[in-house]
Amino acid sequence: MLQRIYGMALNTFREAIRDRILIALIVIAIVVMGTAKLVQPVAMGEAEKIIKDLGLSAITLFCVLIAILIGGRIVYREVEKRTIYLILARPVRRGEFILGKYIGLIVVLILSLMVMTVGFYAVLLITRVPITFNLLWAVVMTAFELILLTAVAVLFSTFVTPVGSAVFTFMIYFIGHSTHLLKHLAVMTPLPLIKFISLFLYFILPNLNNFNIRGDVVYGVPLNPQAMVFSALYSLLYTFTLLLIAVIVFDRKDF
Amino acid sequence: MELTEITHKEIRRPEWVISLLPMVVVVWGFVGIYLLQLTIDSFSRRASERVVQELAYFPSGLALRESSIEYDELFADFIWLTAIDYYGRHLETDRRYEWLGHIFEILTTLDPRFIGAYRFGAMTLAWDAKKPMEALTLLSFGMKANPLSWQLPFDAGFINYMLLGDYKSAAELFQIAAKLPDAWRIVTRWVPYLYAKSGDFETAKQMWSDLYYSTQNRRLRELILRQLRWLKFEEGVRKIKEAIDRFADKERRLPVSIEELVQRGYLETVPEEPYGGRYYLKGGEVHTTTPPSKRGG
Repeated sequence: MLQRIYGMALNTFREAIRDRILIALIVIAIVVMGTAKLVQPVAMGEAEKIIKDLGLSAITLFCVLIAILIGGRIVYREVEKRTIYLILARPVRRGEFILGKYIGLIVVLILSLMVMTVGFYAVLLITRVPITFNLLWAVVMTAFELILLTAVAVLFSTFVTPVGSAVFTFMIYFIGHSTHLLKHLAVMTPLPLIKFISLFLYFILPNLNNFNIRGDVVYGVPLNPQAMVFSALYSLLYTFTLLLIAVIVFDRKDF
Repeated sequence: MELTEITHKEIRRPEWVISLLPMVVVVWGFVGIYLLQLTIDSFSRRASERVVQELAYFPSGLALRESSIEYDELFADFIWLTAIDYYGRHLETDRRYEWLGHIFEILTTLDPRFIGAYRFGAMTLAWDAKKPMEALTLLSFGMKANPLSWQLPFDAGFINYMLLGDYKSAAELFQIAAKLPDAWRIVTRWVPYLYAKSGDFETAKQMWSDLYYSTQNRRLRELILRQLRWLKFEEGVRKIKEAIDRFADKERRLPVSIEELVQRGYLETVPEEPYGGRYYLKGGEVHTTTPPSKRGG
């Protein structure tokens, strides 16, 4: 089983790495980080903060785009090109197929993340910002955000078109960063039903703010390792659940 | 034979032209775009001014924070650059800073830990926009969000001391600042001055120059230099006035010129006018050759 998953993952990896979108997004991300150099003379002593904010935000944003754009069509494309018949005709279980696809994509994402991070540190060197390695923690947490978000994308990919999947995943991304509003609503409302619904949604929707510690690392605030470990676990568990749903949906699908 | 050759040439030339035509059109297209943009820009020279004013229409930074997904700090950075641009433009033109407070409110709501923004916002609000109370409100928000930052109570104390003459609050704020981590030693140095409750030039000068070294912000440093120059100007005026008073007491008349004050020994030297002009006397009053528009501060 592991070998078959490995085979699928490797195949997905090879395919994704050849994708022009991937390379374009990585290049754009690094160019965007580089524009921080232009900001330096007009930032009035705040250039260091801006360069770090911009770099870390660009890493997150462009990796999220990669996850959404490539993740969203990963299963659909096989169906569309009818290569899925070839794969499923072999002794590959559908669950293995999904898992292989997902792992291949995650490897691509982690690799992109690493390339962008190297680019980011290169920008720090060029702009002569003192280099600190606690910034890497923000990147690590972004990786966990991507692990979750890619699972969302793969799940959507099993039953909607690539465009639909990209739109839905982006919505989840947006909502995932606003769930604290639901919590506020639950506190503010006097109606028990609304309170219940908003709390229900608050807990069931992915809370992606868990993974955003960029502000903390840029300001050099002491990090909370416990919170980070729990957020990582949150990501892994959520991902597991989503992939399970994806397998179920995909299993019931007729081609 | 000849005929076919001629037609061949004639046919080939248009082909060559036709294949080049699109590229020429593209180049001219870009030239046209450039010219159009130039024209449009001349219509709306204050375009970026409007962007800032549109920012002012946001009910608060909260709305912006909720729509920035997870990029609050990045949005704040963008507003920081906009704020500096807004400040710089008004500094060079009309010196009216109507939206400054609002911009800084949005900015610090998006990124409540942006110490540099509170400091710059407060100083420009207090001295350039002449709204010290708004500056203190901004700083007090900052202090709530960043209870460990010594710069914010330090600046609040400074504004209380210099602009409001509230020496008691100033002393309290400086003592708070002095107890916080990494606080500069100058903060403790200031406390005794406050109990003296005097607004003398030397103290003020010392405080401004201490403040100068506490920031890397070029605009803020310019503001401080303007204040220092203004202090020097006022100091010169006061010196001359005191000399006039002594002169009038003894000589029972007003001096004709500053030089007369020096010649008679009421003034050591003619004080240097910091704006590049010179002081002169008119009807017993001290004036300067520098027009008010060039004095500022």
